Amino acid sequence: MFKPLAMKHVRLQLLTDELPHASLVLAELGVFSPDPRPKYTEEFPEIPGVRYAELYQQARSRFDKILRHIPLDSPLKLHDIHEIREEDLIQANQWLRQVWRRCSAHEEETRRLREQERAVRQLQNALANFAHLDIDLSLLQGDKHFLKFLPGTAPRHNIPQLRDALALAGFFLFEFLVEEDHVHVIVAGPQEEGRGEIRSLLDTAGFSALELPPELNDEPERVRDELAGRLAKIRAAWDAEAQSMAAFGASVQAQLEASRRTLAMAEPFVQLETAIRSSGSLSLIRGWAPAREVERLRETLKRRLDQPFVLLARDPEPNERSEVPTALLRNRLLAPFATLIKQYGVPRYGEIDPTVLFGISFIFMFGMMFGDIGHGLLIALAGWHWRGKLYGFAPFVIGNGLSATLFGFLYGSLFGYEGVIHHLWIAPLSDPLYMLSVALAWGVGFLVLISLVNIHNKLVIGLYTDALLGANGVVSLTLYLSLLTGLYRVLEGQGFGIGPALLLIGSIVALLIYKGWELKASMGERIVIAVVETFETLTGYLSNTLSFLRVAAFSLNHVALAIAVFTLAESMGTVGHWTTVVLGNLFILVLEGAIVTIQVLRLEYYEGFSRFFSGDGKEFRPLRLAGSEAD
Amino acid sequence: MGGQFHKQTYVKTRVAIMAARLMPEAVRDDLPQGSLEDTGRRFGLQDLLSESLPAASLNRAVERAMIQSLTFDYSVLLRPFTGAERQVLQYWIRKFELFNIKALIRGKINALEDAQIADQLHELPPSITLPHEELLRTDNVLELLRRLEQGAYREIARQARQVYEERNEPFSLDATIDRLYYAGLLKRISATEPQDREGLREVIGTLIDHQNLLWLLRYRFAYGLPAAETFYLMIPRGQSLNHAALLRLVEVSNFADLIEQLPPSLHRWLEGAENTTEVQRRLERRGRDRVARTLKQSPSGVAQALAYLVLREMDLRLLFVIIQGKVLELPEELLRYAGGQPGSAEENWA
Repeated sequence: MFKPLAMKHVRLQLLTDELPHASLVLAELGVFSPDPRPKYTEEFPEIPGVRYAELYQQARSRFDKILRHIPLDSPLKLHDIHEIREEDLIQANQWLRQVWRRCSAHEEETRRLREQERAVRQLQNALANFAHLDIDLSLLQGDKHFLKFLPGTAPRHNIPQLRDALALAGFFLFEFLVEEDHVHVIVAGPQEEGRGEIRSLLDTAGFSALELPPELNDEPERVRDELAGRLAKIRAAWDAEAQSMAAFGASVQAQLEASRRTLAMAEPFVQLETAIRSSGSLSLIRGWAPAREVERLRETLKRRLDQPFVLLARDPEPNERSEVPTALLRNRLLAPFATLIKQYGVPRYGEIDPTVLFGISFIFMFGMMFGDIGHGLLIALAGWHWRGKLYGFAPFVIGNGLSATLFGFLYGSLFGYEGVIHHLWIAPLSDPLYMLSVALAWGVGFLVLISLVNIHNKLVIGLYTDALLGANGVVSLTLYLSLLTGLYRVLEGQGFGIGPALLLIGSIVALLIYKGWELKASMGERIVIAVVETFETLTGYLSNTLSFLRVAAFSLNHVALAIAVFTLAESMGTVGHWTTVVLGNLFILVLEGAIVTIQVLRLEYYEGFSRFFSGDGKEFRPLRLAGSEAD
Repeated sequence: MGGQFHKQTYVKTRVAIMAARLMPEAVRDDLPQGSLEDTGRRFGLQDLLSESLPAASLNRAVERAMIQSLTFDYSVLLRPFTGAERQVLQYWIRKFELFNIKALIRGKINALEDAQIADQLHELPPSITLPHEELLRTDNVLELLRRLEQGAYREIARQARQVYEERNEPFSLDATIDRLYYAGLLKRISATEPQDREGLREVIGTLIDHQNLLWLLRYRFAYGLPAAETFYLMIPRGQSLNHAALLRLVEVSNFADLIEQLPPSLHRWLEGAENTTEVQRRLERRGRDRVARTLKQSPSGVAQALAYLVLREMDLRLLFVIIQGKVLELPEELLRYAGGQPGSAEENWA
């Protein structure tokens, strides 16, 4: 429950021809995680399947692009699972290439139509704008004897440079309409000069000419109709293209589905990457598997592979612990907590899996800080109602809601009303000091537990000195507990006590010596750093303990907020009163609920995780076959 | 105020320490001499060069090592900066991304195999987010352009489409990419504090001047482009070659007159140059001189950092050229010429 699954390092030696088949079997089982470290490079100098992987990547890329245009209706389901040979992959890739060509042509055609539509709209805008200008539009049409006029559009940021460049060629640029990132302009200049020169310059500057219809001046209505007709034609072409694409999509659906299956079955071999090495016809696959699954793995391979193979499994060596993947607890109820833990990091192999501890302490603290029967039940009901949309976080929401409900009964609080239900334990505001001392006691217990977990983790990976003298080790914990005992005795009027004092002094001295010895620096530097770090250990424990005061503070805050809402409500009439009570409760539920969640997460991450787990472990990600029953 | 002062002090100290890595002139001049192994040993590349790789793979490996070295310096110098100063440095390093975009577009336009295009791409640090793989896997140039049109490279894609569809000369594409890059860089520089702006503009303005002058010579006298189009392809806001100077220079009709009419700060370096290659080599020296001045004299930490990175890049580029030449067993004379150094047969101005 608290320890990750025991893992074995697995070496599978087999014939190179069987690699695709074997990878498929491994993926079907879903218990084998490849080990990509470059080992046995001399005995097995080649990395097989490079061409296979290239083909797969190319085909996968095409397939994903095609899906943007031809979505598949149903999720992937694999039935007839079989080995995909390189020839199968070549064939699938070629077919996908042809289909993608059609899709790409569709994209290009759509783009062309969009550009055409934009050009017509620009022309419409330009003509609408010309109507406000007091000029004879016939002057802008066709070639004139001495002057050349070019109405058009150009990207806005090119205009200043283009204007100066045109001036060099004796041309003039007039801006008359700015439209998003384009500007409508008229370029004018001498007829006989720089024909080719101007055309090339305008092309480079992204100028696109507006073709002014000859009848613009005399029959503007007809021109407007003609442009509307052009737009309608473009839309019709657009619809026709969409229909044609849809028909094409329907015609290739079945084959596309087949390609999806081919790619899914080819994927495991590609995912093995450098975990496979080979020497001629002999290959080696290396990876990790849970110890309890090794025999099942061996038996399945025996049954499914055609040729003989050798499977060797061994325990992880001490020097490769950082490479061993950690399989976190897989449980629907704990899954949301595991996700939150992964936000911080993955525990190293051998370290205690904090999921259960995290789940229980999170729910407990949330309930204590947000204890209210009404609010708790609303949260739990919301979690249940939207369980499908919460991406597996429903147990998290429901658990916190139920915990808040339970503490609501303990505090006797219902939608902020105290006294409607008699409290089973205490009404928080009746004795705030008691609440604060409970929170402190919880904090002490939490920190001690976390320190013990840290000591265990250090011992497991063989860091004995660290477990004894390092941060949050045995000596640090002794320092913390002796100080707390001494202070408690002082508060009780019994004096610090010889036992706690001796332990406190002894642990401080031990820490000073250890930190001084551990450093590689001059004596002066060692002394300064050892003193500062020992002092930091002490203050760290104390400040972390005080951090837990917030657990009580928020339970008090919850009641105080409710009192504020009721005070406001009482100053109003009946309708205002109940409106304020409802809205106030919603406000408390949403805002305080969010704040409490963040605060609990903060306590867990900074007061908890940072003490015992580095978070730099590797998550166990076994090869899986997408669409298979095991997936 | 105090924080700013400490940051400036830290950055300047950092830059001063790192500047010790820059190659003094004598070292640069000695580079073409000696064997490949000597050069490798001298610059910590012996392991790489001792691997018996084919010439092309070796060049790629050396190039990768150079870029890694530069991006390491970059990431160290970037750390203390925030806001506008940070953005200037972050934008500067994007030049490598643009190299790759050029290579991708050219490769796809010329219908090269993916492997051939991939060979021309720089391996970039993770902070640069260009989706190389995705772009490389596009099936043809139109698909690549459609992908680019969707993002920040819309203008580049538009120009590339024109090059592709109208069979234009690809230099308009290069010019567009460079123009957009420098415009973006200058925009970010203008957002910095006044005390930083001057030094930053001095460095970038110098680079813009040199690029403009070289392209001006090529467009006008090699490609025969008209003055108007040449001016349009220039990058605005250089240091010595300002707007008015460019307007004047593009109308000059021959090489010698153009050199004569250059502003004094450029003319001093280029007087007597007879061809574009020679101009390029002299500009390389001028660039080093001016940027090194900013490195030494600018009161701005970020300007010093940028100046260092520019000089470091120049050094690494020179080293790469020399190693490439030695791998190909080119004669020392040619190496000197390729590296733009004095002492080669064509050298008559130093």
